[in-house]
Amino acid sequence: MADANRTPLLDRAAALLAGPFLLGRQALSLAFLTDRETPEAPALALQRIPVTPPEHAIKRRG
Amino acid sequence: MKTRLPDHGPVEAPRFWRTLEERVETPEARQAAHDEFLPGAVPAYDDVHGLPPQSGVSRRDFLGLVSAAAALAATVGCDRKGQGTVVPYTKRPVEVTPGVANYYASAFQEGRRVYPVLVKTREGRPIHLTGNDEHPGVRGKTSPRAMADVLRLYDPDRLRAPKAEGRTIGWAGAEARLQGALKEAKATGKPVLLLSGALASPSRKALLADLKAALPTLEHLAYEPAAGDAAEEAARASYGQSVAIQPRLAKAKVILSLGADFLNGEDPETLAAWGAQRRLKSAKEPINRLWVLEGPLTLTGTNADHRYPVAPSRLAAVAFALARELAAKGLSLPAGADLSAVSGGAPADVPAQAWANLVKDLQHAGRNAVVLCGAQMPAEAHQAAHLLNALLGSEAVALSPAEPLATTRDLEAAVQGMAAGRYAAAIFWDVNPAFTYARAAAWKDAVAKVPLRAWIGLMEDETAAQCQLVLPENHWLESWGDYTTPGAAVLQQPTVGTLYDTRQGEDVLLGLLKALGSAPAADYHTYLRARWEKAVLQGGTFEQALHDGLVKAEAKTVAPAFKGASVAAAAGRATRRTEGLELVLFPGFATLDGRHANNSWLQETPDPISKMTWDNPVAVSVQDAQTLGIQEGDFVTLTLEGTTLRLPAVIQPGQAMGVLALALGYGRTTGGVAKGVGANAYPFLGLDPATANVRPGARLAKAGGRKELSRTQSHHRMEGRDIVRSLTMDEFLHHPQGHHHKPELVSLYEEQKFPDHKWGMVIDLAACVGCSACVVACQSENNVPVVGAEQVAKGREMHWIRIDRYYEGELENPKVVHQPMLCQHCDSAPCENVCPVNATNHSPDGLNQMAYNRCVGTRYCANNCPYKVRRFNFLEYTAYKTEPETLAYNPEVTVRPRGVMEKCSFCVQRINDVKIRAKGEGRSILDGEVTTACMAGCPSDAIVFGDLKDPKSRIAQLVTATRAYRVLEEVGAKPAITYLADLKNPVAGGHHAN
Repeated sequence: MADANRTPLLDRAAALLAGPFLLGRQALSLAFLTDRETPEAPALALQRIPVTPPEHAIKRRG
Repeated sequence: MKTRLPDHGPVEAPRFWRTLEERVETPEARQAAHDEFLPGAVPAYDDVHGLPPQSGVSRRDFLGLVSAAAALAATVGCDRKGQGTVVPYTKRPVEVTPGVANYYASAFQEGRRVYPVLVKTREGRPIHLTGNDEHPGVRGKTSPRAMADVLRLYDPDRLRAPKAEGRTIGWAGAEARLQGALKEAKATGKPVLLLSGALASPSRKALLADLKAALPTLEHLAYEPAAGDAAEEAARASYGQSVAIQPRLAKAKVILSLGADFLNGEDPETLAAWGAQRRLKSAKEPINRLWVLEGPLTLTGTNADHRYPVAPSRLAAVAFALARELAAKGLSLPAGADLSAVSGGAPADVPAQAWANLVKDLQHAGRNAVVLCGAQMPAEAHQAAHLLNALLGSEAVALSPAEPLATTRDLEAAVQGMAAGRYAAAIFWDVNPAFTYARAAAWKDAVAKVPLRAWIGLMEDETAAQCQLVLPENHWLESWGDYTTPGAAVLQQPTVGTLYDTRQGEDVLLGLLKALGSAPAADYHTYLRARWEKAVLQGGTFEQALHDGLVKAEAKTVAPAFKGASVAAAAGRATRRTEGLELVLFPGFATLDGRHANNSWLQETPDPISKMTWDNPVAVSVQDAQTLGIQEGDFVTLTLEGTTLRLPAVIQPGQAMGVLALALGYGRTTGGVAKGVGANAYPFLGLDPATANVRPGARLAKAGGRKELSRTQSHHRMEGRDIVRSLTMDEFLHHPQGHHHKPELVSLYEEQKFPDHKWGMVIDLAACVGCSACVVACQSENNVPVVGAEQVAKGREMHWIRIDRYYEGELENPKVVHQPMLCQHCDSAPCENVCPVNATNHSPDGLNQMAYNRCVGTRYCANNCPYKVRRFNFLEYTAYKTEPETLAYNPEVTVRPRGVMEKCSFCVQRINDVKIRAKGEGRSILDGEVTTACMAGCPSDAIVFGDLKDPKSRIAQLVTATRAYRVLEEVGAKPAITYLADLKNPVAGGHHAN
């Protein structure tokens, strides 16, 4: 059991180092982007689809 | 899991089996039957955390997880996201009362078939369909695809506005362009092509006649790729015209099917008649007998009393030999029929004794016998069936003239016309020839030469992509229409206002008429109403017809006369033999011709025979699989006349040797759901209408690699216990309980008391044909989520009711029994005892109910359920859905989130609805008043629901029937569902078909 718990130690250490490294690289790439433009605002979409009763229809029951 | 077929010698096998693995009892099959979930359904802790195997969970990890979970729970608990606001209507629609369902009668068309339906709407949204109970034919029943089509109304892929060259434009611009092209065509006298679906509507037909009068160069073709060209070709040869064939099984004592799948759920009238003949209370009641000769195993074949695998190319020869034999026994041949080319005696395809019995049965039944031929079978087989019915003087089939359909030959002529630049414009209305036409490349080249191409439809498809004008159409639930059906003229009315900026196709045509100088009506509703008031109503009011959805009237038709002179040529062609493997192309159960491929309910409903979902593998016979060394899921290459397709294979017990079967309608290249599902088989379709769907000379070879099939037949096994029972009529007469002994149940617990009602269900396996209508009805009623192919492969499908398909006997031609399996609502439910939070418990009227918000997802209940009917939401299947998809939900049923167990509720919302209504009216609940969705959807009336405490109820009488048994009764769970054993009526050890 003890061995099994120690085995992933290297994996965990790698994750501890790699995590901040990858995040930092991402942060740098964002900060030094040159020709990045503000994305266009998405077109205003209808939030709800209007449900209307049918015209001229006759219901059976309800 | 690999499947190895037995290499040598007979195998000691259990009586009933569902998969090849079970049949040969592989160690994997034994383990799978023992395990509660499929491998992969429940993720192992080690897999999730990347820990080495057998590491277990350390104390540190456990404490870490608990802390993290507590922190997360506290955070999530403080979140106010998702809180909606309830607002009243500012202007309440007159017809809508919040919380109360409205029902509208309408109609759904699929090919030549029309389904009168009753549409349930809630707060204006259509949410569920059943058959129209006023219609004398369908009597409240409909088909699985009709029920599932409500989902298409809310398909996010639906077009919302017209487009020209890919850009959204208004209707005015789109219509002006189309009208301009047609006006020019009229002026120049150039033809205009209109390709539409089948014309089953008299008003639509009249409208097209008006259009034709205004634009004489209009050429109209009604095109239905799933209808079967061979049937059309044979009708023209045998009767000189197109005919509609409607079986009248109530009058049939002996039925012979030549590859006809009339029990596949498409025809509720036929299924009702079949169920009525099979729901026997005693062995003295009359029962019919079904003989089936077919290549691929069909649902009808699984319900046969005698079935023999025969290659489709041989069916005509066998049927003509049968005609000759019957003629030799004294039945008179129709005038002019010449069978001298047919060799006498029994054909090699059917065992001699069986042949003699079949001839005797047909001769004995005479006019009460009927021969039905599958739409996809060769034209000669149809002609032989027509001859046999004429020979027998069959009263069990009704023939009536029908609107002609375009065959591949007609379409080929149109393609050549387009390629030659003959047409000024082409309009494609509700058809998708760019996908369904066999020579897609030729189609594309030809259509590009038409100056103006307009497409009218619901969702952009392969044909729309080739058109400049794309006009979005209303869904049929938003449209007007009418149809002629046997026994009634049927109306289609909108049940909801249009959701988007769409129009119905007929209104587009009326706009064209107006532009061409003819204006019969302002809109199609006015046009239709005027026609009905003039020609149909005869004293009644249009409002009453809309209320009922129909006007009862038998259409006056003259049955077409059989042309005996056509027999000799057909019999001569029937003797041809084919070489190599024979490929049979048939409409997909879920997709039909491809039009339903974007419907996820249908894609996830297991195919009734192969139990495949989300795919169309090629089905190979057991013998051919052995010869070619093919195992389940192996990729193969299928080659025919230069066309090659790489696709997975399944081994299908009961399929005729030398026959391959492949479903059409898959392999679409458009549609959020349909795109990339399965392989497109249309390129294999033949250009000769007589044999378009049966293609000789196919080659199959292993291609290397395997595919994990999303196939449900091995899921939810019950360790080979006594679950399904099937009796012959002889056994029914003498030993209805067989070798089964009713176990004496001893319990330490007190008997439960049910003060008012005790709900129960009876399922008659003799009437159930396995069509899966109940599965779709349940999915629609209970908001059952769709999980997708990958999850189905892991055994995580969510259907509350499944149809277990059991084989019995030899691999090459097994007998089949279908058994619907759902929560048994046990009185001593094993699931209830083990729930740590009392989320599942028993109601005072006998329901095993779920409190979803109490469930913490331990899955102990699923683990302890002997029937394997509990379904766990392994992933979040519903929370991220938005409109329009959420509009399809039934507001009476909770939508379940991730981590919650769910299962059949006996449609508790329907029970409570009736309870409240009865209480309000101061009366008790009537027998038959409560119908579960599966019962209402079952076309053969195999499912009966009711109150077991009411001694006069139908169900109380059925549970005491001699065929009655409860599944796994010995476990002592006391299920509330009683099954009635399946019945077969073979000649030997059976009953005369009387």
